[in-house]
Amino acid sequence: MKEAMYFAETEMSKAIKLLGQLGKKAVILAGGTDLVPKINYYKLQPEVLVYIGKLGLDYIQEKNRKLIIGAATSMAKIAASKLVAKKAGALAEAARQAGTAAIRTAATIGGNLANASPAADLATPLLAMDAELLLRSGKGKRVVALKDFFRRPGQTVLRPGELIVEVSIPPPAGRTVFLKLGRRKALTLSVVNVAVRLEMDGHKCQDVRIAMGSVAPTPLRCTRAERLLKGQEVDKALIAQCAAEALAACQPVDDQRATAWYRRQAGTVLVARALAQAAGLAEK
Amino acid sequence: MKYTLSFILNGLPADVLVKPSDTLLDVLREKLGIVSPKRGCDTGDCGACTVLLDGEPVRACLTIALTVAGKAVETVEGLSKDGKLHPLQQSFHEHYAAQCGFCTPGMLMSAKALLDKNPQPTREEIVEAISGNLCRCGAYQEIVEAVAAVASGRRKEKGQ
Repeated sequence: MKEAMYFAETEMSKAIKLLGQLGKKAVILAGGTDLVPKINYYKLQPEVLVYIGKLGLDYIQEKNRKLIIGAATSMAKIAASKLVAKKAGALAEAARQAGTAAIRTAATIGGNLANASPAADLATPLLAMDAELLLRSGKGKRVVALKDFFRRPGQTVLRPGELIVEVSIPPPAGRTVFLKLGRRKALTLSVVNVAVRLEMDGHKCQDVRIAMGSVAPTPLRCTRAERLLKGQEVDKALIAQCAAEALAACQPVDDQRATAWYRRQAGTVLVARALAQAAGLAEK
Repeated sequence: MKYTLSFILNGLPADVLVKPSDTLLDVLREKLGIVSPKRGCDTGDCGACTVLLDGEPVRACLTIALTVAGKAVETVEGLSKDGKLHPLQQSFHEHYAAQCGFCTPGMLMSAKALLDKNPQPTREEIVEAISGNLCRCGAYQEIVEAVAAVASGRRKEKGQ
């Protein structure tokens, strides 16, 4: 077997050059929480590990009213950030509920997205907030909307040699809510997760985003359900209709965590509950 | 290829030759004789390998060893001082918080991470802090009580 190699560059330009040279041989390592189990069980035998934890991509800041989060920022830091809590409440909530303390210390926002799990907990709130990703490779930079980022489980539009640099979230409008249903409270992957962003004008819905995870090959936006709500008076009947419509867009599967049938039932409840919470309607 | 990894282990410098795919757990257990972190699942689910990295809890089995270069790793081996148990260890002992003992090192390190930051946590905060540590014997009640006893200061006079 070939001996594996390891690089931990401290300069972005060097890391990008290295990734460009290595192409498909390079396996990018950040927190390792999704990657290392694959290495431990020989599902993945990287020729070259490129560690990006020393590139200074660990930051949360506000720039031009946008919230900018470095790709190697840990879930623990996101969960504890007052700025994230203020600007992107649903993201803070998703980070708080993800894994457990020892996972959140290591797991990063960029890794959660690049791993492209259908159940990625940070993906749903970021979809609901129209997040964009700044990608960088030897060929330069490009910006990809998160809704165009995922292809299928484990597959994204990232090209060989390309790195997620940061996540950018537009100034928030309206309230955001994240709800997750797992098999238990801690250290569990989502059976279903839902994030909504709802902007109200009195009782009318000005704008809305509904995103769901673990109900399709990728985290997804439920645009048809969003259209039902937009411009309408929000009440419980409309929310119920909208939740049913959101689930029509899903293609859940049976797996060890839940059946497809259960995911539909639970997902409908979760979408309705999230919308009601965001609209300030008591829903029990 | 093998690389020299230098880091601080329980307050002392450690140097060891490692492969890129070696995890911190591999290196601690198999090369440095630090066997308190246990290999339960190798996927991050059980928590038995929890250690502190620069004071924060991490899974040793999910940590590529080379990424801890220059950082400080703490394990149960570093808890007792001058032959005296750490207050958490003493309290676990007194509360019968270890049955088979396999989860105990991870529980201790998760609890230490909590108390170092939040010396007087609520019961809910203790439960949350050990929520990623599985105890197959079901000693959770005793473990929570042991941590709570240290937090409330009932163990302060001993061990420190």
